[in-house]
Amino acid sequence: MGVLDYFRPVSTLPAEKIRALLNEKKAGEYNLVDVRQPEEYQAGHLPGARLIPVGELESRLKDLDPNKPTIAY
Amino acid sequence: MRSRAAASILARGGFKEVYSMEGGIRAWKGLAAGGAPEAGMAYFPPDSSPSKLTALAWLLEKGAQKFYGEAASELRDSGAARLFADLAAAEEKHKDTLYRTHLEMTGAADDPQFPESVLPASAAPEYMEGGVEVAKALQWTRGKSPEEILEFALALEVNAYDLHLKMAQRMTDSRAREMFARIADEEKGHLNRLQEHFIRLMTPA
Repeated sequence: MGVLDYFRPVSTLPAEKIRALLNEKKAGEYNLVDVRQPEEYQAGHLPGARLIPVGELESRLKDLDPNKPTIAY
Repeated sequence: MRSRAAASILARGGFKEVYSMEGGIRAWKGLAAGGAPEAGMAYFPPDSSPSKLTALAWLLEKGAQKFYGEAASELRDSGAARLFADLAAAEEKHKDTLYRTHLEMTGAADDPQFPESVLPASAAPEYMEGGVEVAKALQWTRGKSPEEILEFALALEVNAYDLHLKMAQRMTDSRAREMFARIADEEKGHLNRLQEHFIRLMTPA
């Protein structure tokens, strides 16, 4: 991850929009990625979220299907 | 910040539709599941056949059905008691879904011995969704307020939902994957109903 990644434009949605998106999609139709640290995940995560700390994300992209809508938090 | 950085890594990696959640988990204010990434997954041994996974999932539903059915009589709130009776009935439907999945997988017309036909009967305690022993859960509910019992049920359901979603992700066998995804989708409906009722109970009239 380069420092420029912080400035790349991406869609940011408020939590209610994310909730609506997850509610309308069926299980398996989206990727939901928790990019925090394992201790934070353990203390509480969105149901079905997959833990991939941000520092590991680049090397683990192949664990996720790039064709599905992908939500990171 | 982390989620925005993550989203841009994903976008750069060729992911078509990427979102980051504004405010991160602190903004979520919804139900959250607890535990490590592997929590609860040990119940489903990784080398199990799809048939065995179906039978194990069926036993969890049976445990949950028993819990909701018996806890309904403990609830000192008629609306919550009705909801629990409905949930017990919904677990019966889950069991039926799983039984039919089993028949599809094996090609049999019926299998009255299921789940023993796949899993030998065991003397292990009965478990329910969320990885809790049914007997212990029922014991815990005695004397508790409807709010406490509903809160407990919400915690169970959210962890069960989390577990089934994760199992659906892990499965390489498409039938097993669909089975877990189907249960997860039905559990999402349970969660919403429990949550609505919980909010009603906690809101003074």
